[in-house]
Amino acid sequence: MYNVDAYIKSLTSNAVKLSKKVQDGIVENTRDLRFENQAHFLDTNEDKMREIRKNLDSKYEKEKLDGLKRLIAMISKGRDVSEFFPDVVKNVASNSLEVRKLVYIYILRYAEQEQDLALLSINTFQKDLSDKNQLIRAMALRVMSGIRVPVISPIVMLGIKKCVTDLSPYVRKIAAHAIPKCYQLDPAQKDALMDIISTMLGDNSTFTIGSVLMAFNQVCPDRLDLIHPQYRKLCKMLVDMDEWGQITAIDLLLRYSRTQFLNPIGKSTAQPASRTKKEKSVVKSFYSDDDSDVSHHSSDSESDESEEENNSVDPDLAYLLKCALPLLQSRNSQVVLSVAKLYMHLAPAEDSYKIGRPLVRLLRTHREIQYVVLNNIVAIASQRPYVFDQFYQHFFVRSTDPVFIRNLKLDILTLIATESNITFILRELQEYVKSSNKGFVTQAIEAIGHCASNIPEMAESCLGGLLKLSYSKSGSVAAQSVVAIRRLLQQRPGDSVFMITQLTKALDEITEPLARANIFWLVGQYSSQLQTVAPDVLRKAAKSFATESESSKLQILTLGGKLVALEGTTSKTVSLLFQYVLNMARYDLDYGVRDRARFLRALVYGKQKVALATIDLDSDENDHENGLQESDSTEQDAHNVDEDFAYSEKELNLSDHIKAILLSEKAAPVQENPSHGREQYKVGSMSLVLNRVVAGYEALPDWPKVQPDPSVRRLAATMEAPGYMNDRTGFGSDSAYAKSRQGQDISPAGGKGRYDGQAGAFRGAETLDKFLESSDEETSSDEEDDSEEETSDEEDTSDEDEETSEAESGSGVEDDDDEEEEEEEASSSEEEAILPTKRTNGRRG
Amino acid sequence: MIESLFVLSPTGKVIIEKHWHELIPRRVVDFFNDQVSKAMAEGEDVTREDVLPIIASPKYQLINVYRDGLTYLSPVTKEVDPMMVFEFLHRIPDIMQEYFGQVSETVIKENFVTVYQLLEEMMDDGFPLTTEPNSLKEIVPAPNILNKVITTMGATTSVSTRKMPHGMSNLPWRKAGVKYNSNEIFFDIVEEIDAIVDSTGKAVSCEAHGTIQTNSRLSGMPDLTLSFVNPRLVDDCSFHQSVRFNKWESDKVLSFVPPDGHFRLMSYRVNLPSQQNLPIQVKPSINVGANGAKFDITVSLRNTDGKPVENVVLTLPLHKSTTTLTAQCNVGHSEAAANAGYNIGVEFLINSHSLSGLKVDVLKLFNESYKPYKGVRTMTKAGRYQVRA
Repeated sequence: MYNVDAYIKSLTSNAVKLSKKVQDGIVENTRDLRFENQAHFLDTNEDKMREIRKNLDSKYEKEKLDGLKRLIAMISKGRDVSEFFPDVVKNVASNSLEVRKLVYIYILRYAEQEQDLALLSINTFQKDLSDKNQLIRAMALRVMSGIRVPVISPIVMLGIKKCVTDLSPYVRKIAAHAIPKCYQLDPAQKDALMDIISTMLGDNSTFTIGSVLMAFNQVCPDRLDLIHPQYRKLCKMLVDMDEWGQITAIDLLLRYSRTQFLNPIGKSTAQPASRTKKEKSVVKSFYSDDDSDVSHHSSDSESDESEEENNSVDPDLAYLLKCALPLLQSRNSQVVLSVAKLYMHLAPAEDSYKIGRPLVRLLRTHREIQYVVLNNIVAIASQRPYVFDQFYQHFFVRSTDPVFIRNLKLDILTLIATESNITFILRELQEYVKSSNKGFVTQAIEAIGHCASNIPEMAESCLGGLLKLSYSKSGSVAAQSVVAIRRLLQQRPGDSVFMITQLTKALDEITEPLARANIFWLVGQYSSQLQTVAPDVLRKAAKSFATESESSKLQILTLGGKLVALEGTTSKTVSLLFQYVLNMARYDLDYGVRDRARFLRALVYGKQKVALATIDLDSDENDHENGLQESDSTEQDAHNVDEDFAYSEKELNLSDHIKAILLSEKAAPVQENPSHGREQYKVGSMSLVLNRVVAGYEALPDWPKVQPDPSVRRLAATMEAPGYMNDRTGFGSDSAYAKSRQGQDISPAGGKGRYDGQAGAFRGAETLDKFLESSDEETSSDEEDDSEEETSDEEDTSDEDEETSEAESGSGVEDDDDEEEEEEEASSSEEEAILPTKRTNGRRG
Repeated sequence: MIESLFVLSPTGKVIIEKHWHELIPRRVVDFFNDQVSKAMAEGEDVTREDVLPIIASPKYQLINVYRDGLTYLSPVTKEVDPMMVFEFLHRIPDIMQEYFGQVSETVIKENFVTVYQLLEEMMDDGFPLTTEPNSLKEIVPAPNILNKVITTMGATTSVSTRKMPHGMSNLPWRKAGVKYNSNEIFFDIVEEIDAIVDSTGKAVSCEAHGTIQTNSRLSGMPDLTLSFVNPRLVDDCSFHQSVRFNKWESDKVLSFVPPDGHFRLMSYRVNLPSQQNLPIQVKPSINVGANGAKFDITVSLRNTDGKPVENVVLTLPLHKSTTTLTAQCNVGHSEAAANAGYNIGVEFLINSHSLSGLKVDVLKLFNESYKPYKGVRTMTKAGRYQVRA
């Protein structure tokens, strides 16, 4: 009785307790049931700080979460909350995934500062590495490798080794990501890590391989010999990798190819056409309906027609280019650009037209991406303008384009102008001149000048257009067009007389000082051919001298000097005009003008002997920046001349050499493209965009002079051994396949039989379609565990097999470490296995 | 390698910062803000959009993306493909849009824990990790009322008990175990017309940019094949990762396993042969006098298959010095506000019309047994369409 009483009593008290607990829990939990708004965590004052510690120690998940969220809010506000480290680490083994994730974020942020405390968390991670959920395993390794505490590098190493054999491709991906992190922690581990990488390179999951290649690029970028056996497989897998993996893979394959193949770019289709055709037909008849199998490909260059043209390309290189081609259709702009890079640096020049259209497509995206693409197009177009010349319309400027886009488009338009599109481009450029933006107008006019000098056939119509513009009401337009004309004329002395006569006619209407100065200079320079016009120009100039600008005055003086030098003192009018100008200049306000007058007077009329250094009055012409600077530099020159008078020692009579001094031929200005120099950088690199070497830039290796042994790839393909990675193609899928799917192309012999011959060498590479077939293999954790169990069994047997058949397969990939580890894994999976089997049984029943 | 990210508010304040590699001090943000204000002070008409996307500082290259008023700043120390950084930075607002429906300073602040988790998953030690929205949603649950209720009502996601996201199907873009009662898939074909038309009404350049926005609500692992009536029209195109490139190359069909939910299946470009294809004709005539100017703009319709043209908007930017302005319309209404520029911007919208003429033919489904409902909608609107006056 008493017992029953006591029992009832305890029962009721328990019930009360329980109900209270439940109530508490609900109250606790519902307190925060409003629609997700985390903003309130962001306002943190000192009181709240104290509360955080309490929260973290709370038994309620909710409060812990609150505390953690508050901490993360403070991290994001840039406050140092490392003092909470001990309180946070306590929660690392929390049952709640949400709590854990936040703890991880915190630990990753502060582990470096609190190294000792961070070690406390390691145990949990190690335990988690054996968790049956792949996400937890992956997360554990990620955080562990992310803790930047050098002491733990051996543990991280162990973790990586454990995870590279994981069944889940996601975990293996994370393991690959952990490799460079481990390397940074402890560079001494390099050799061991390299071993891991070389085994992981055999991984056939497209999900994982990109990250493995990333690790390769980070840890041992120079060990290209490891790539030999995998080269063709990588090419084949390229299209199915994830986008970021594709970028890494292309980078690597580009470097690899630059060291392994001879340069096809220089080689043209020099071979007799008949021979090429003959070969083509043979190839066609042989492999007419099978163009996807690589093993065939390696034996001969069967590929699409464009590539058959150049059979000087190594078949392996051609295969890479072919595999990369579809990626031009990727939605990821960097992938597109990477393929463009590949084609620019590897493919024969005649293939590069393929990259034009996709690159142009990128112009219709965000302005930042446009910026990079346009920079790269500039670089590509300056070497191979024909890639883009048919797309000129896409480079037309819209009024909504930002400044930097506008300028790049103008550069490109001038680069890709050809005889066939120049009329459209010129018309478009003339449209830009109407813009209200002065800088843009200036550049448009310069662009017209560039076009004219690039395409001599069009120079005439360009000049005509420029001449029209020089009458413009807008001073800057007029000035710029005269400057552009002047530059063009210097390059094409034949046209000058007519043009200059035209210009002088316009002189009365042109008011812009810079434009006038340029015309005066032109007349002076070509005065020998303008014997009727030139003196008249000087007359007009003398009349208006007082009202001219300084730069014009200087040029008028020079013009006078030149005319006198040309005709000697024979023509009285000219001489008188010149003296008049000199007198005007003598009392000018500007010392530069006075200086120039004094100098010219001495030069032309001076009988005294003066010292001569090299005098180049018109050295300004080498200047390509803009006209204003030119006149400045002329002044500068005048000073230099003065100095030269003082310091040089030679003495001679200058007036004897006056013609040579004043009327020497001036070198035509070199029209340097503003984008000049970009093409030396790798396509797509930051250095190219900024047009200077950025720290860490690595140029591409030069092509080898002698063909490296091409058989390394072929040989390796046959040797591609039943390494332990390959044994389990599809990771966990084999068993699943065997049970449920009986996939057609999986040979019943299991993994091994497939790798025996060369023909099957690449079958193992998982394609998208294969993915699909096996896509449901991990849909339930139960199944996963099943497969894990079975595979580990299978592994043991296959190990034995391998030992016996090692001689024929030639495998040497497996090493002792892995075996040890597999034992570990096997035991752990046994432990785990108990639970899931029960569950499966239950379900099956 | 992308080392750090700062998300800056329109005023240049740090909303969120994330370091994937080593810590980069916040000073760099001040330097960046200085550079931006310096660049914007250079001229009257320089806007934030004109600031260079890569700004060099003594130690870092400041790669920045400006979008919707927010700046995504990523300082890098070493050579890196800038395009990759831009591509990644643009993914961040894309994903936030997908998660929260909109992107703004407030939205980020309201969801900053989720944003933090997303950033953590998207990048690992400077290398992009998971950027597929479908995979991300497995790892970081999107905030919705159901999730909220589950977490608050005691069922906290205990590591052992909760049926963990088995996640990570073999296709990174599609989660496993999707189930719908009614299986439907919708395709929205939206074509934007880009054109530059000169003052005589002749098109200087003219092309249609189409996107196929898809909303997939299909169970299991459907393998779809979508074919077009006239695929040869397509001049150039890009695809979602799920599309098998080779199938397009060989058969001109889209063969793909769709991600779940919204995604952009394909973008394409069609070159339009001549201006006759343009659905709307704008003819400006401008008379400038001593005391002002008169703009007569005639808008006429052409070639729309009898479909109505909606939402026609003409923007005529005027110089800042404009003092008074009167505007009249024969149809519709006008608003007056002065601005600078010299081109007329045109906007319009035509429903159920595809200017290029691209038509969906058949959708076939493999790998699953149900019959899906297929919805196709087309729409044509003005993209970067301007008329030169």
